[in-house]
Amino acid sequence: MTTLIEYSIVAVGSFLAFCMFSTLYGKGNPLYSLAEESYLGFGTGLSIVMNVTYIWKTGILNIMAGDWVLIFAVVLGIMILFRVNSTYSYISRIPIAIVLGAQFGLSLRTIIFSGFIQQIQSVIQPLFSGGTQMLIYNWTIALCVLFMLTFFFYTTEFEGLLKTSSTFGEYLLYASFGAIFAQTFMGRLGLFIGFMQSYTVPSWEKPFLVGSLLLVFGIVYAMDKAGILEKFTPED
Amino acid sequence: MSNGGIWKTFAEYDRRYVYLALFIVVIGPLLSPIGVPISVSPSTRQYYEVINAVGEGDIVFFTLNTEFSGYNEIQSGIIASMRVFIENGAKIVIAVGHPEATSIPSMIFQDLNKELTENEYVYGEDYISLGYIFPNEAAVAALAEDFQGTVSQDWLGVPTAGTFLDEVKTWKDIDFISDYTTGLATTHVMNHFALRGTPMAVNCIGVMIPSSMNYLDTGVYLALLNSMRGGAELEYLTGHPASGLTAMDAFTFGHYMLIGFIVIGNLGYLMYTRKQTYGRGRKKQ
Repeated sequence: MTTLIEYSIVAVGSFLAFCMFSTLYGKGNPLYSLAEESYLGFGTGLSIVMNVTYIWKTGILNIMAGDWVLIFAVVLGIMILFRVNSTYSYISRIPIAIVLGAQFGLSLRTIIFSGFIQQIQSVIQPLFSGGTQMLIYNWTIALCVLFMLTFFFYTTEFEGLLKTSSTFGEYLLYASFGAIFAQTFMGRLGLFIGFMQSYTVPSWEKPFLVGSLLLVFGIVYAMDKAGILEKFTPED
Repeated sequence: MSNGGIWKTFAEYDRRYVYLALFIVVIGPLLSPIGVPISVSPSTRQYYEVINAVGEGDIVFFTLNTEFSGYNEIQSGIIASMRVFIENGAKIVIAVGHPEATSIPSMIFQDLNKELTENEYVYGEDYISLGYIFPNEAAVAALAEDFQGTVSQDWLGVPTAGTFLDEVKTWKDIDFISDYTTGLATTHVMNHFALRGTPMAVNCIGVMIPSSMNYLDTGVYLALLNSMRGGAELEYLTGHPASGLTAMDAFTFGHYMLIGFIVIGNLGYLMYTRKQTYGRGRKKQ
């Protein structure tokens, strides 16, 4: 049995979602502004609550349990808040420096592997062992990497074989950009379909989806035709 | 039709027609599914074999490094993978890496209520939800070094002491990491868990696939499930058709539509520019 609160959530959610999509109309409109500002407000509020809860659970509770060293973390956190006061904002530099230092320290220990060694290692493949399909893959990777790398030789004049390799590498780069674009489209389409699907299952939500779509775009179109779209749209 | 003829119209069509067409080809099949057949890719088979190898009593760290928008894309992979872990009798620790995602674990368990009941899963004994615990890399690093010192309560504030998490002291006590990601803290989880040796498999959104392949090739990820498409294939493999397979109709038609617009746009551009050049040439003669 669907309750009134479930109907309300779906109705408000689908309406605000299509208000967001109304940006695709190509003109600023008050419904988009309503949804945008609502999202920012709710999102910020949620982030604050969740982060305060996190500090409570991992910091304050552990301090009360006797882990006194965490008091320093809480004090440093409070010091960051001085950033909003122009007279004492310099105090916030201390915790920010510590946070950045700790972050770089942690990253330097690991990024050398995930961001550098693993990236190079992934293109070093066996070229003379494995099945036919695997050999074709591995040779393709090896040759494409070589051709594309020559494109980035900026300090050498391209002549002869190097120029051919560089040109071929350039076209390979275009092909890879095309593949990345296709993956990006697939991802964005997946996000869009996934969202739409959240309003088609269960099936009682479908009228809300179609109704919101027609309502929002109907209102925006009517306001545009009446020439009052700009008048009611808040300035950025 | 504009003065430049049909080719100019093709070359300069209003992008709002693309959006309108996309709405139609997506919403239509979702309202009335057709059932376009799909094939299962080798990468999804590999992913299934890896997660299916997780055995009874193994501790799975189920990390949702996604916002709510991203969850819509990888939901099918998340549900299908979680079902495999439940049916295999694994002990599941679920955590999220974004404040927005805090309510997602409840939705997953609600969707899999039947499986939880059938396999007699009890909260605290067999699965536990920790909520938002990945605000930054320092938190993930601390978790890998001292799990219980970092997290002592579940997402509702109930102490985790006395649950199966008592066995988890450091990264070594996690048997498997199943990560679902739009980015966020996945790199940190990889750096502080997988690179040390914790087995890890990932289900990422479409835009992340090219950058994630490197880690699959080097063995840091044992398997990679690709976007919603991978989730649909996993549903097919596990024999539980759900949202992923239903979405494949819209997914397929959406791609056909894009190819169609690319062909129309490029054909229009090519013919229109040729017409202009040819026209100028004739005037000169």
